[in-house]
Amino acid sequence: MSKSYDPIIRLEHVSKVYNEYGTKVLALDDISLEISRGEFVSIVGPSGCGKSTMLHCMGLLDRPSSGTIYIEGKDTSKISGKEIALFRGYRLGFVFQNYNLIPRLTVLENVMLPGLIMGKNKKDVEHRAYTLLRETGISHRADHRGIHLSGGEQQKVAIARALINNPVIVLADEPTGALDTKNSLDIMNLLSKINREKRVTFIVVSHDNNISRYGNRKILLKDGKITEDIKKKNRRKYEHT
Amino acid sequence: MDISRHLAWGEVKEHKRIYGIIIVVISLTMTSFMLENAYLNYMMQVVNDTTKIITADVIIANSDYTIRDLYGTGCELRNAGEIADRIERELPGYETSIRVTAQGTYGIGAAGEGADACSIQGIDPLDDSISDIRSKIVEGRFFKEDDPILRGHTPFYIKIRGPGSLPDFTYGTGQRLLKNEKPYPIIVGATAAKLHPSLIKVGKTLDLTISMSGRETSYAGITVKIIGLYESGTPTLDAIVWFMHVDSLREIKGYGNITGRDWYIPGVGTFRGFNPIEIDRKRGDVVLVKAPEPFYQLDPIGYSEEVKKKICSIVPNLKVFSWHDFLVYIAGSMQDVVTLMVWGSMAVTLFLCGATIKYVMDSIILRKTREIGSLKAFGARDRLIFKIFLYQGLFIGIIAGVVGIIVSVIVMNLVSWYGLSMEFIAGTQLDIGFIVNWITILVALLLPIILSVLAAAFPAKKAAGLSPVEALRKGELSL
Ligand SMILES: Nc1ncnc2c1ncn2[C@@H]1O[C@H](COP(=O)(O)OP(=O)(O)OP(=O)(O)O)[C@@H](O)[C@H]1O
Ligand SMILES: [Mg+2]
Repeated sequence: MSKSYDPIIRLEHVSKVYNEYGTKVLALDDISLEISRGEFVSIVGPSGCGKSTMLHCMGLLDRPSSGTIYIEGKDTSKISGKEIALFRGYRLGFVFQNYNLIPRLTVLENVMLPGLIMGKNKKDVEHRAYTLLRETGISHRADHRGIHLSGGEQQKVAIARALINNPVIVLADEPTGALDTKNSLDIMNLLSKINREKRVTFIVVSHDNNISRYGNRKILLKDGKITEDIKKKNRRKYEHT
Repeated sequence: MDISRHLAWGEVKEHKRIYGIIIVVISLTMTSFMLENAYLNYMMQVVNDTTKIITADVIIANSDYTIRDLYGTGCELRNAGEIADRIERELPGYETSIRVTAQGTYGIGAAGEGADACSIQGIDPLDDSISDIRSKIVEGRFFKEDDPILRGHTPFYIKIRGPGSLPDFTYGTGQRLLKNEKPYPIIVGATAAKLHPSLIKVGKTLDLTISMSGRETSYAGITVKIIGLYESGTPTLDAIVWFMHVDSLREIKGYGNITGRDWYIPGVGTFRGFNPIEIDRKRGDVVLVKAPEPFYQLDPIGYSEEVKKKICSIVPNLKVFSWHDFLVYIAGSMQDVVTLMVWGSMAVTLFLCGATIKYVMDSIILRKTREIGSLKAFGARDRLIFKIFLYQGLFIGIIAGVVGIIVSVIVMNLVSWYGLSMEFIAGTQLDIGFIVNWITILVALLLPIILSVLAAAFPAKKAAGLSPVEALRKGELSL
């Protein structure tokens, strides 16, 4: 494992302005924030408050209009497009609300995809994909096509896929947004289990307070500003009723 | 397997219906191109083979010669031998042949037959690498060494001075005037034999009236014996072009040292003929030039013009006709127009296919933005996305090219198995055939590949340039 930096992500006066059809939208307004390795952060807030924007900036999918984002101590505003791609591939994992499985690929192939994109050895990637599918409890569907699975199952596959390249941070934008309560809790339990066992940092966006109970830190966003940042001593564990 | 190729192949399979249609259109276009091209090649070959029997790549003639004289009686090219030597000296690899031509008439007064004309080409059986008549004989035989090629004297004719304002009149007889004289051997086209079955048959003798000069009206009568029939593949030519030994024609036309004298009868005219002659092998009507076979035959017309230019620079004061000039003379520019149309229609169809590929891919990309966005989130670089779509173009092109070639090979085989042929004159048939050269195959394979890769490059570039956030957000909208 590479040298461990702390904080793993640092935002310094990050703002994001959208300028569409002449109207300016300040999606992120001067945000400064530090997230440490192994944290499980929930970002909550009303719709349109800038949660996704913040996640995209932290995931290097988008660049802030101003301010700097450091990941593992590295100033990401100074790295080239090629390096950003490498960074996304090797250090970050993504989980989307709508799973984004490639429909024509099998579950196994979907999980392997980021590994293959990074040019890793196919055998190794396959082996690791199986292990992850077993851990997420979906290995019995490995050879099925992604779209034939239920939403909850698809999201488990997506989580396995996010972990294939051993990321240090997993970013999830409303991972339970399309799921019912039972499946949502299932997924959140899985994420928090992985967070505890693998010490992977999780940043999970949600507008559901039930979901934000997970993890040890809750950041409340409003109109592009952090209005609350609560760190919990004891992580609440979900009990099934 | 490279992940971009793998994903590209998946895309092709996923959109197999629309891509399949494009592939079918492209491959059918290539099939028709290949068939047309191969058929044109074949026709070219047929025309090439047959016209070159009498024309070669280039003909050098006297400055007052016109292309029509090739069929008739041209004016003598005095220094034919010297020109032939010069060409061979200055252009290594080029072959020359001195040719004598004459116009003949036969069948005058024959029962049940109309008189007909023939263009007699004098060939040297020993030193004529240009004409390939020997291999075209279908009945009888080719010239032999002990054939009675020479009489040793010029043919007989009488020239009567026109009294008063009447023109001069020259008369020759085809009758053998000396008992022990054997007729000149001649090879006749098979079509002529079909047209005049009672006159032309191997072994028959025939009286011919030959016009001996391009300038004066002088005729000589000779007797010929048909030793063989040839078939060139172009029945029209076989109806008119006959072959004699070039020395026979030299003797008939008086190309040599004539030692005898004419008898002049006052008030009547001049009896000429039976003058002892020693033929001069350096004399002839035209010099034929055969250029070395070009490395490829994609553009025989261009090559022909190129050869013509070279020859022109060596003999600037003489008339030079290329094989293509001759082709245009006998067939018009039809061939050129057809060739142009084949390429033109193919270009139009392929352009449309290219445009279709581009628009289909554009719409696929529009539907797949979320997928592209996720690939980028998983670390895919722009280049990888670009390659995914470029490979799709490549696959489409390769499949279309290969399918096109396979289909055209099948069609060609079907045609030759079924044995299609065209009606030609005098009940003759011209088989429809195909000649596929590697340039045609290369074009049929590479053109669709280049086209579809180019067409794919535009959408591929667009896909590669998508911002991941935009791609992910747009995708969300479409859910
Ligand atoms: N490409 C864009 N162009 C213009 N405005 C944008 C763009 N993307 C986002 N916005 C605006 O930025 C603000 C923040 O958007 P964002 O998607 O981050 O909100 P969110 O908190 O994720 O909302 P939700 O909970 O509905 O997903 C919104 O007002 C949105 O309209
Ligand atoms: Mg959002």
